[in-house]
Amino acid sequence: MARKPKLHQVTIANTGAVIACAADQTLLRAALVAGIDYPYACASGNCGQCIGQLDAGTVDMLPRSDASLSPEQFHAGRVLACRARPRGDVTITWLGRGRK
Amino acid sequence: MPDIAARRAKAVTGFMRQVTTILAAEGVTPSALHALKLKLAALGQKVDLFPPAHFADPVAEGRFHPLAVPADGPALYLSINKPGKEAAPHDHGIWCVNASISGRERHLLYRRIDDATKPGVAVVEKVGEVMVAPGQGFAMADHDIHSTEVLGDAPAIGLALYGYPLARFPSVVWYHPDLGTTRATASKRHTDAA
Repeated sequence: MARKPKLHQVTIANTGAVIACAADQTLLRAALVAGIDYPYACASGNCGQCIGQLDAGTVDMLPRSDASLSPEQFHAGRVLACRARPRGDVTITWLGRGRK
Repeated sequence: MPDIAARRAKAVTGFMRQVTTILAAEGVTPSALHALKLKLAALGQKVDLFPPAHFADPVAEGRFHPLAVPADGPALYLSINKPGKEAAPHDHGIWCVNASISGRERHLLYRRIDDATKPGVAVVEKVGEVMVAPGQGFAMADHDIHSTEVLGDAPAIGLALYGYPLARFPSVVWYHPDLGTTRATASKRHTDAA
């Protein structure tokens, strides 16, 4: 029987929501499934609409385009929620504008 | 023998001249896009003109290198995408022709089947599949919907000809079949050309 991926706690600082995110799930996916109106467009590491500041914790990043997140942004702690999978409990603040 | 960069520049200039000629004669028609695809695939087969040492790897997993990019109008890029790099189904809003230099990139084709009456909601269904590998090209009309994924262990290095430069793209509409949603990025057509 396959083991279930570990669940981590993700805090969305913009809304104060605290949600569960599996280790093999992206922060964006977990937020959308939880009903949070998280800003995004491509959800595949190309457009940068879901850029956020990782306030706490660490993530693994799935493949993305250079244009979607610059090295300077990445080294400043910014991530793409659509590419970021939690390695533990994390807190993120989205920097894009929410859909109205 | 001219150096590689000079030979590449000459080949690219010649190709872009053909693009102008074909589009001026036919407009953006299926036959014109087919002709562009064949010519771009032929350019992509001149592998010696595009040595990896001339094009920096992506810092992350995907990068475009400009080959012939005017202020507006058709623009040619060399793209490098590493294994696993993907793009969800999307509609560029502008025509596009791809051709491979090396590696394999799978394109899945979709069509929208809902009535587009609910903002942010869309239903798309898969209608085809194309593998872009060495010797092969792929053409899409203005509002065709496709997704991409690099397969195998090697980067997909290819040529991409778009109707506009990337910096002047119209709104790109993204679709998420598993979520039943759609989102669009802002158009860059209203900004002044560089």
